[in-house]
Amino acid sequence: MNLKENNRITTLNEKMLHQPRYVSIEQALIITQTYKEHEQEPIIMKRAHALYNALCQLEIGVEQEELIVGNRTKGVRYGVVFPESGISWVDRELETISTRPQDKFHVRPEDIKTFREVIVPYWRGKSLEDVVKQRCGDEISAIGKVVKINQTDHAQGHICPNVKEWLEKGPSGLLEEAKQQLAVCKEEQKVFYEAVILVMEGVKKFYMRYHDLLVSSASTADEIYRSHMLEVARICKKLSEKPAESFHEAVQSVWMLFVVLHMESNASSFSPGRLDKTLYPYYEKDIKQGRLDKEKALEIIECLWLKFNEIVYLRNQHSAKYFAGFPIGFNIAIGGVDAQGKDYVNDLSHLFLDAQEDLGLPQPNLSVRLHTHTSDELLHHAIRVVAKGSGMPQFFNDQAIIQEMEKLGISHEDAMDYAIVGCVELTTQGNNLGWSDAAMFNMNKVLELTLHHGIDVLTGKQMGPDYGSLSTYQSFEELEAAFEKMLYHFEDRMIPCCEQVEKGHIDILPTPFLSSVIDDCMKQGMDVTAGGAHYNLSGIQMIQIANLADSLAAIKQLVFEEKRLLAKDLENALYNNFEGQEVMRQMLLNRVPKYGNDVAWVDELGIKWARKFRERLRSYTNYRKGPYHSGMYTVSAHVPMGENVGASADGRLSMTPLADGGMSAVYGRDLKGPTAVLKSVSRIDNNLTSNGGLLNMKFLPDFFKTDTGIQKFANFLRSFVALEIPHVQFNVVRKEDLLAAQKHPEQYSSLTVRVAGYTAYFTELAGELQNEIIARTSYDNV
Amino acid sequence: MKSLREQAMTTSECRGNVFDIKRFATHDGKGIRTTLFLKGCPLRCVWCQNPEGLKKEPQVLYMENKCLHCGSCVQCAKHGGVTIKQQHVCLQREAQEDWERIVDACPTRAMQFDSRSYTVEEVMEELLKDEVFFQREGGITISGGEPFLQHEFLIEILKECKKKQLHTAIESSFYTNWEIIQQALPYLDQIYVDLKVFDSALHKSYTGVDNKQIKENIAFLLQSEKKDVVTIRTPLIPKLTATPDNIAAISTFISNCYSKVRYELLNYNPLAKAKYSYLDMEYCFDENPKLYTNEQMEQFYAIAQTHGIQQFIKE
Repeated sequence: MNLKENNRITTLNEKMLHQPRYVSIEQALIITQTYKEHEQEPIIMKRAHALYNALCQLEIGVEQEELIVGNRTKGVRYGVVFPESGISWVDRELETISTRPQDKFHVRPEDIKTFREVIVPYWRGKSLEDVVKQRCGDEISAIGKVVKINQTDHAQGHICPNVKEWLEKGPSGLLEEAKQQLAVCKEEQKVFYEAVILVMEGVKKFYMRYHDLLVSSASTADEIYRSHMLEVARICKKLSEKPAESFHEAVQSVWMLFVVLHMESNASSFSPGRLDKTLYPYYEKDIKQGRLDKEKALEIIECLWLKFNEIVYLRNQHSAKYFAGFPIGFNIAIGGVDAQGKDYVNDLSHLFLDAQEDLGLPQPNLSVRLHTHTSDELLHHAIRVVAKGSGMPQFFNDQAIIQEMEKLGISHEDAMDYAIVGCVELTTQGNNLGWSDAAMFNMNKVLELTLHHGIDVLTGKQMGPDYGSLSTYQSFEELEAAFEKMLYHFEDRMIPCCEQVEKGHIDILPTPFLSSVIDDCMKQGMDVTAGGAHYNLSGIQMIQIANLADSLAAIKQLVFEEKRLLAKDLENALYNNFEGQEVMRQMLLNRVPKYGNDVAWVDELGIKWARKFRERLRSYTNYRKGPYHSGMYTVSAHVPMGENVGASADGRLSMTPLADGGMSAVYGRDLKGPTAVLKSVSRIDNNLTSNGGLLNMKFLPDFFKTDTGIQKFANFLRSFVALEIPHVQFNVVRKEDLLAAQKHPEQYSSLTVRVAGYTAYFTELAGELQNEIIARTSYDNV
Repeated sequence: MKSLREQAMTTSECRGNVFDIKRFATHDGKGIRTTLFLKGCPLRCVWCQNPEGLKKEPQVLYMENKCLHCGSCVQCAKHGGVTIKQQHVCLQREAQEDWERIVDACPTRAMQFDSRSYTVEEVMEELLKDEVFFQREGGITISGGEPFLQHEFLIEILKECKKKQLHTAIESSFYTNWEIIQQALPYLDQIYVDLKVFDSALHKSYTGVDNKQIKENIAFLLQSEKKDVVTIRTPLIPKLTATPDNIAAISTFISNCYSKVRYELLNYNPLAKAKYSYLDMEYCFDENPKLYTNEQMEQFYAIAQTHGIQQFIKE
């Protein structure tokens, strides 16, 4: 089913896409004023008052076409300045936000003035950013090229609230619950419940403000939309008092939950989880009672989908490079197994895919959970949507994920019901502060320091301990021993930084609203940042085993085994970024097998170190008394993290990107095709990616043009499930990729193309043929 | 020091020359497949897509676009096998050289052997790497060259595949003895046979061999118990095979052999041209023709249909 002709949806989509993005200081002013008025109160009450005031005072807006309303600014896609989390970077970057290379926002001159005169003076030294800097800023920058510590200037986010409970209780139910708890709780818990009560009152008012605005706007709206607007007004009024009952009410309620979460935290990756499962009872009831049909349901879903694209997140310039293109991370999981381990799929799973197919927008981040018994129907539907080229849905593998979650101490029931937050971060639903984006650990910088006496080759300065250099190690084993010491050295230095950041969040950013929808915060009367959640994990990303494996394999084979290269020569070449050593660089690139080609010894060289890293990580406990675990994903961080690393022994030039994804091969080096890539990736133990792993693959659009092609792709994904790989997502190669391959053939040597039943490496084709293929490879006609 | 020819001849009988093992082959049969390309072909089709598969012996391939002109190869060539003339690397492939060493010296693999010798065990190890992808459908396809040219090796591999319960397919010209084909048939699940040109004289002039034996073998095959797993294929080469007369004659012949025969017309593949330069060979077209459009393809199908074909394989 599709709604391509639907006026409401196309109008809303156009309105959204054509609005300019601005930086907004409206909420920052409200927060600042509130803090001044409540100076003596505990931090959690200050935060509750600030949210309450924002809910009562922020300018709001509605569009006549909207079936789902609510946003945290009147304009869409505004970048909200949030003084509690970070102010210094905004102060530094305010003038360049409109011209920076990634994720630009307009800034109104009068806002710059107010920001500097009213906001900055109050917050300097008080925001999370400043506090973390005071407590451990020097250490964070000293290890910065190896470890990027995250969440230092914004709230954590990366959490999947208990949507089901929110729907069943609503703000009124939660308010009532907090009141009951308040009457019987211990003295030290009181402030938590008081904060929850206050924010719930705010949410109820927020709903009523939308009701009032809709009623008053309806009178001037186009006639065809008037009755719908009044219906949405009715829903808002009802939801301020009661839980949702109909499907439309439930969807509105879900959206308002996420608006308020963003208003409270201003963080990325609040994810709805398994929304096909959570919303189904509402859908089913309406369908049975004849109040809803599939087309109407799809329209409501698409209105929600559009909403997911209306909130973006203002990051600092550095962070915008690591997380480019507003990955706000509304991740929705569909399919998967139910509590009994049987295939779970319903109409909504398919309608969600239909909505993605229709809109092709970046949000929500749609994820399909696959398992051995996934229905052909869902799998084929998902593949047809992939073929459209939006890169979605992505695929997760129950066979790889559930048992590893259980090994972390998660109950069987919760593990079976897992969802995803943000991009690929694995979580349970509604009861887990996973802190999944705690830090990224650059193993390739560690290798660089190991090969050069602990010296950062980009600056020539001592950055780590001197355990020797490539030319002083007498054997590959000796090199590995030094690498191990260097790895642990930085890992051990990372942990106290992570703890300081977590502590900063407890001290500065308690979140009563979020805590009300995360079990067991309400029971314990404890904020989620302080450890009130049922599960308290912390995830560290290991970056990137592909380059690491390739570099170690090249050194092992060419220096220590074949002795084709002298250690001293290679060390010098690396230090000098291969200047005048192109032949050596080509040898490193071409004469040694690479990760991602199903060559076990090479793959293992990378994986081995991930295992050691994780093993040590597991010996630590985080600030909330939960376990650390590991992931392998980068979002776009392979670019800036590559900028931190000098030339590497895999033939990579200084400061150029690392492999993308997390589990993927270095782009262009996977020459044995997609099955070999999956075989290589399947060698990664799944406990290494219990926080999330990311595999990117590229396919040509031709592949999906026939039913046979889709059937073969389904076989490919079934094998992905059998190989127990946790994640894969597919980019369908576009014309731009091919044009780039013509310009930079060396980066695209694995790109294969197909003509009439024949596959060849694109870069090895003559120019005229390349052009012919480019002419055919376009989505214009889809 | 041995010439390439001599190096190849020292290989024992249980070995075969393989010029490619392509994983994730998705258009040589059902499902996801691994295709094994056996080297050597008795035919010399002027349009051949895999010119590196023609000679049975290993040859040195040279890809100028990958070459750094670093001279590593020239230094290893003691007998004039590799020289640089006017900034171009020139190969004398017949020269008595230690070609292994020359190829090994190339930092970019611009120079490489087009094939290598494998034992049956080595081939099986490669073929089984993607076993997990063959579970629902899919399997092994053996192609060439002409796979029957190394028939002992071929049959050993097929037997091993069947021991592992792998689905097997073959792509062949059937230019071989029926007795040899008969030995392979029990181990084959899917059979693709090319019938390129019906007219004997034209066949001889385009492929270098007579087609009498091919037609006889096709007739036998289409009367055998394997007839339902057979697909006859004609590659559409502009002006050469892609003529109404040829399509009509082939269609009549094969549908007379077996009325439900499956027939596939392979669109012209303009990609082969690039490979010829790597081997310093001449290609049959100076100006590379374009792919046939869907409409043109339909015209060819229509001709085949009027001449008795009921079942088409279309990609």
